[in-house]
Amino acid sequence: MARCLVVAIVLLGLASPSATADDAVPPRRLTPQELADWIDQRFAEEYRRLGAAPAAIVDDATFLRRIYLDLQGRIPTVAQMRDFLADQTSFKRQDYVDRLLANDQPPERFAQRSSEHLGRVWRRMMVPASAPNAAMAPQLDPWLAQQFAENTPYDEFARKLLAAPAAANPQTPAMMGPDAGAAMFQQAVGPQPENLASAYVRVFLGVRIQCAQCHDHPMAAWSQNDFWGMAALLGAGAAAQNSPMPAPTIKPVTEDVAYTAKLLWSEEPLAEIPAGKSPRELLADWLVSPNNPNFAATAVNRTWQYLCGRGLVGSVDDLDQVSDEERKILDDLAKLFVDSGYDVAWLITGICKSKVYQQAAAGEPGGYGEGFVHRPLKTLLPEQVFDSLEQALNLPVARIDNGPRFNGERDQFVARMNESAAETPSDYKGGIPQALMLMNGKLTADATSLDNSRTLRAVIEAPFLADEEKIETLYMASLTRRPSEEEMAFLLEHVQSKKAPQERKQAYAEIFWGLLNSPEFVLSR
Amino acid sequence: MSSQPRLTIPFAASASDARRRFLSPYSRRDFLGVSLASVLGVSFSGWLPKLAKAAESSPEARGKSCILLWMSGGPSQTDTFDLKPGHANGGPFREIGTAVPGIRISEHLPRVAKEMKDLAIIRSLSTKEGEHGLATQLMLTGYQPRQEAVRYPTLGSLISKEIGRNDNDLPNFVSLSPMRMGDAGFLGPNYAPLTVSGASDDPNARANLSLEDLAPPRDRDEASLKSQFDILRFMQQNFAANHASEAVRSHRASYAKAMRMVETQARQAFALEDEKPELRDAYGRNRFGQGCLLARRLVERGVAFVEVALTGTNNALGWDTHGDNFNQVQSLSEVLDPAWSTLMNDLRDRGLLESTMIVWMGEFGRTPRINPQNGRDHFPAAWSVVLGGAGIKGGQVIGRTSPSGEEVADRPVSVADVYATVCRGLGIDPWRENISPEGRPIRIVDSSGDAIEELVG
Repeated sequence: MARCLVVAIVLLGLASPSATADDAVPPRRLTPQELADWIDQRFAEEYRRLGAAPAAIVDDATFLRRIYLDLQGRIPTVAQMRDFLADQTSFKRQDYVDRLLANDQPPERFAQRSSEHLGRVWRRMMVPASAPNAAMAPQLDPWLAQQFAENTPYDEFARKLLAAPAAANPQTPAMMGPDAGAAMFQQAVGPQPENLASAYVRVFLGVRIQCAQCHDHPMAAWSQNDFWGMAALLGAGAAAQNSPMPAPTIKPVTEDVAYTAKLLWSEEPLAEIPAGKSPRELLADWLVSPNNPNFAATAVNRTWQYLCGRGLVGSVDDLDQVSDEERKILDDLAKLFVDSGYDVAWLITGICKSKVYQQAAAGEPGGYGEGFVHRPLKTLLPEQVFDSLEQALNLPVARIDNGPRFNGERDQFVARMNESAAETPSDYKGGIPQALMLMNGKLTADATSLDNSRTLRAVIEAPFLADEEKIETLYMASLTRRPSEEEMAFLLEHVQSKKAPQERKQAYAEIFWGLLNSPEFVLSR
Repeated sequence: MSSQPRLTIPFAASASDARRRFLSPYSRRDFLGVSLASVLGVSFSGWLPKLAKAAESSPEARGKSCILLWMSGGPSQTDTFDLKPGHANGGPFREIGTAVPGIRISEHLPRVAKEMKDLAIIRSLSTKEGEHGLATQLMLTGYQPRQEAVRYPTLGSLISKEIGRNDNDLPNFVSLSPMRMGDAGFLGPNYAPLTVSGASDDPNARANLSLEDLAPPRDRDEASLKSQFDILRFMQQNFAANHASEAVRSHRASYAKAMRMVETQARQAFALEDEKPELRDAYGRNRFGQGCLLARRLVERGVAFVEVALTGTNNALGWDTHGDNFNQVQSLSEVLDPAWSTLMNDLRDRGLLESTMIVWMGEFGRTPRINPQNGRDHFPAAWSVVLGGAGIKGGQVIGRTSPSGEEVADRPVSVADVYATVCRGLGIDPWRENISPEGRPIRIVDSSGDAIEELVG
């Protein structure tokens, strides 16, 4: 690793990393490993500046669980864990990142699973639970998964979402070509121009302007002109013309004024829409432009937040509230992202291969003033919880089995979890109903039933396993690690205090129940 | 009332599920389950001797409680509690007399009208937020939404922290709402609400607002459940020792409450089927009506704060009547009127009205002027809330709006004034300070507020 870093520094003239942003060196695409080294170098600077020590690098098992949860949306199996721990090759962590993102060999189909999972993650970022039609948002998933599978460049991704006309009938998007699914985004956030304006600006530019819908924003700099100027561009959607057309206007229902189309950060409304462009195309050109200060930065910040628990810059939706100094690393990384051709897979790979990504989670945010240098615990998304349970329980995943994934149980489970899903990875919002479902719901009941549980039966009935090994296997199946000495002593005592064979079996069920309900199961270290 | 917990057969969720269960080798156990359930029920009451006495303790022994009736979307004051008959803004609704001479309200709230001696209308509330999210935040926290990094706690968290009991088997704050309302903000997970969405694929659960998964699986006996909990507590402790974070504390707090509810089976609070069918009918067989009944059962068991949301049938913002206002307000009133009036009577019959405050409000009012869609839009400048029950001198109207309803003509009231009044009525000092995690003292009520003396003096 250290050697790679030196090579990268030499290659890139990075002797003084702070010079990268403004350097006149022509853009050259880094490899993902070079990106990882660049990240580690910048963070090393930051630790020096803050007088802080970086957290320790996690062990193999923790890394494996983390990378599986982040990319596959589920925990690894016991077999995958054993294989990884036994692997003696020197770049096995980096190789595993590539495998999960790019290897689509059956039966694992890692790449496909990663695309599907990242699509869901992005849907949750794009459509918050409070959106008017949030319930429709999962219909976006297939299209999003496709974009991750094809690694659509992020600028093109944004264009597709912006260009798609709001479907008149949301039931029939399939009628309209390969990117028709993108239209579901506009349905989910509410198809009115004012909803679209706040949604696009939040999702792609990391600022919230919706407060300026009714009055000039008291704290941030946004005015009603800013809000409605953007909304005007997202109105009914005129097509491109051969000659310039007047800039569109919009009149709020509650006001007597009409607002003319205006781009954010510009003082004046648009004079006209040039020939050959529709208002939305003009908006898209401006949105994804490398000169837009927030487009690439927001993409990077959201990706970083998802993978590392918090954004490189505090709140990912309040980028307008931070100083240039605070967003220095973010902006530099954003520039590399632009130079990569808005390559999302490159960005994810680079982050996951960095040492920063592999650092142990601190319980408390930083303590150094700037929290981003320390990784918080991350609360699993509802689908991650379900899919991890499915994995831990060895449930039938194939459709033909009519397992919980396909008989409605998964939907019910996710719906209940959604009732109190957190908006940021470091928050845990689950309440009593969610706890009760994990404690007593059918999935857990079956998982810890001596008659029904595949995992439990496999463990309990294996004649070749000693008590210690049985406990250890349950830990690996659920928490991807071996128990500590203290844990082993406590649980062994619990098992061995039971004399009757049936009671002893039940003791394992109780342990498994405890593992599945433990905070460690739903909080990613 | 039977004191024996009833265990429903879990997860008769869908036809395919039922079919699968039928085809599985274990389906016979579903039949056995019925008798097993009663056996298990006995063992539960053995585990928890307190259970039998659940609903028996005297009202005096309990502290006060508060029930918030939340009108999601912003109810039209002009068509409920501040009518303008004869004015162009008035709309088609007639005004009717109430139990208090001189106080007149909408014809579609005839039963609430009969309760007016125990209710007080504030007609001159004036606020500054006209967007649903921000206005909801304002009305549910009492603080102007700000950019600054304070996460203000919601009313239920503030109140239940002051008057809730630590020894209660039930959470001190229960939210009966299909959508998420406020959260505990900086007060943290211990003051977060138990949210019962009433939204479920299980038709029985939906109709009953029951708490799903309260009963443990049938194949666990008491000793096994106890072992499970002991093991979990051990694991929680171990994990917390190495990962001291807010997320871990929240997880632990939720589980602690959930485990206690399983152990006590929530003292049967959610078993609405124990109520007489006639009473359930009187509340209204809908989510809001049954929610009000559940609120009474919760208050009866010492829950300090219950919020019940009246939302639309198809959306979360039922009172957001930008179009077709009058038909919609009438049908919402027809849900509200029986539920609220029955709640008042039911509480009174049980001697609980004098210890239970009722707060009726939404996030804002609606424009007195009728828009071209025969609707009314968002209007925070002059609107109404209603307080009643514990600590409130009923039979009064506070403040007045102009003949058009568009301005406050007398005695403007702020959100902080309402909050201070609620606190005083419940015997809480509104100026007591909570300490935010940053160490900043923050008063329960914004210091700009003054209690309305006529109501609580």
